[in-house]
Amino acid sequence: MTSREQLAWAIVAIPTIVAVLVVLTPRRAVTAVAVTGAFVTAGLALALGVLELRALGDPVVGNWIVVDAAGALLVSVVAVVGLATVLVSPAYLAGADSSLGPAHRQQHTYFTALYAFWAALLAVPLVGNLGGAWLLIEATTATSALLVGFSGKARSLEAAWKYLILTSLGLGVALLGIVALVAGIPGGGIGALSWRALGTYSSGQQSALVAYILLVAGLAAKIGWAPVHNWLPDAHTEAPPPVSALLSAALLPVVLLVAWRSEHALAPVIGIRAGQDVLIFFGLVSLAVAIPFLWRSLPWKRLLAYSSLEHMGVIALGIGFGTPLALAGVAVHIAAHAVAKAVGFYAATPLLEHEPRAAERSVTGIARTYPALGGVMGLSLGALAGLPPSPLFLSEVLIVAGGFQAGRSWPAAATALLLALGFLGLAHALLETTVGKARRRGGRHRRESRALAMLGGISLALLLALSALALWLPGSDLVGALLAGIT
Amino acid sequence: MSGGLLWILVAIGLAVVVIRRRSVAVALVTAQALVLVGFALYDAKDAGDVVAAGALAVRAVALAALFLLLVSRTRELRPVHARVPPLVRAVAAIAFALALTWLVPTLGLDSRNGERAVLALVAFGIVTAATRRATLFHVLGIVLVENGLALAALELPGGGSLTIEVGVAVDLMLIALVAGVFHERIFAEFGTGDSAALRTLRD
Repeated sequence: MTSREQLAWAIVAIPTIVAVLVVLTPRRAVTAVAVTGAFVTAGLALALGVLELRALGDPVVGNWIVVDAAGALLVSVVAVVGLATVLVSPAYLAGADSSLGPAHRQQHTYFTALYAFWAALLAVPLVGNLGGAWLLIEATTATSALLVGFSGKARSLEAAWKYLILTSLGLGVALLGIVALVAGIPGGGIGALSWRALGTYSSGQQSALVAYILLVAGLAAKIGWAPVHNWLPDAHTEAPPPVSALLSAALLPVVLLVAWRSEHALAPVIGIRAGQDVLIFFGLVSLAVAIPFLWRSLPWKRLLAYSSLEHMGVIALGIGFGTPLALAGVAVHIAAHAVAKAVGFYAATPLLEHEPRAAERSVTGIARTYPALGGVMGLSLGALAGLPPSPLFLSEVLIVAGGFQAGRSWPAAATALLLALGFLGLAHALLETTVGKARRRGGRHRRESRALAMLGGISLALLLALSALALWLPGSDLVGALLAGIT
Repeated sequence: MSGGLLWILVAIGLAVVVIRRRSVAVALVTAQALVLVGFALYDAKDAGDVVAAGALAVRAVALAALFLLLVSRTRELRPVHARVPPLVRAVAAIAFALALTWLVPTLGLDSRNGERAVLALVAFGIVTAATRRATLFHVLGIVLVENGLALAALELPGGGSLTIEVGVAVDLMLIALVAGVFHERIFAEFGTGDSAALRTLRD
């Protein structure tokens, strides 16, 4: 077993063990165990990312484990967001007045579900076959639904129920696609579902295309692509803010990776263009559905949720265009969206303390009453809008340019137009949220302001680093490795 | 699988779409799963097939126990009527099943009749979840879809993967357990398992 394989197993095993440990730990030590486990998990995941960067073009490919450039990118993103989520969770729990389980076990319930969810999220990019990926995605549904409904309040129960039922039905359709694929792959069994074996499908192009469409349409319900996105705004809005960050910044792109791997693996059978067309369709529809909502005055977390719909559409388009420029954009977009969106959701905890009505209506003039919070929210929204020099601006330019490079002028032009409209909507929200007319007076938030300034500083540094990366990435070996995939 | 058995599976699925009582619907999806277990054991070629059939049986019995427990703990004061009358539900389910059969030319299973039955069960499950207001029926819709997928696994030309089949059964039980937790909390919060109460979140 290579060091990368050992690390891959450890990255999944450690959070699973911590999930069990948390149950057995006395209440006063739960946070310490959770935070320690988060640093260990994230450290191992980032080490895997570095090792993969040093071995680009030489992926580890087996029936159960795959370590390649795209997987390492996603594992690193999930690790960083997971670590930050664990670190900000005690602040959320300190103010939580109700929960799904018994009050004295609130922390145990929360961190056990969070770690189980995180373990499944880290496993999906590393799993070596489509069947295993499906099982893990289904496992994320069960664990994350518990987190979405964690507060036990009526609205969160409604959101969790919608999420559970809609994504489970979607995954049922995806499983039908998988069964149809297995039927056409010689040999059968688990080996037939390994990423490389998918390309050996031999029952004809038409039936492979049907299976692929069933698979992607089913996964779309989980990714939150329109028109099967109905659960997304509700779940992101009603989940605890740290969990919303993990849902948006980690879960959605992780499931999207499975759609990407499937498209790549099945391209020799269904044709490169047909597979990409499906992704471009979902990308454009998601963008078109999201934009009108970005123009409306929405509560903070709901606005971020619709922004997730927009950004998952952009990533789908980048993968659908499939050129080196577009894939460079996709890599930057996944990482930058994760940073900007996670920061936005983390800011919701102090926002809801500062202005409880923010749960149900849009907020204005936060920078006037709570400058540190306004600064962090402005940073998040500015980056998500694609305000230069946001890395998301650069990644969107790369993706649109990639679309023209691929000869897909109409979808690329439509993407550019929709992104411009989305930018205007979010820019308006940015101005209103930060420097608009304040609805209440400011208060003293000295201690929280220091924490927010640190969060904002780290996020700004990460975003600027990603902007620099976006300039260097096109033409690099990393993009070559993303293009090659695991074939 | 014989045409008669396939018809029985599809008829049970359609009955779940139209039936009013939750406990009867639970009995029907359980009976459907047990028919699948019977066929899986009859058709088993090796120990792996027997284990897969065993996992399906455990899943069927465990879900039945869970759902009946939920029914007994969440008795409705008034019947929860579906959004759509039974006859319209049946017509919609059959139309959706026929549309799916027409849209999906082939799945590559052992027989075309088996494929049609699989697609019909998937369609019936989706229609059940979409048209019923009682929250437990939403979960039963998912179980109907999964029963259809279990039938598809039995109809695979080269056989399925034992690991995946056991994994799917475990995942479904996990989902049903979480759904059970939420079903009870929804009942406690709203005083009913009527999903019409779950409509506050919209734009």
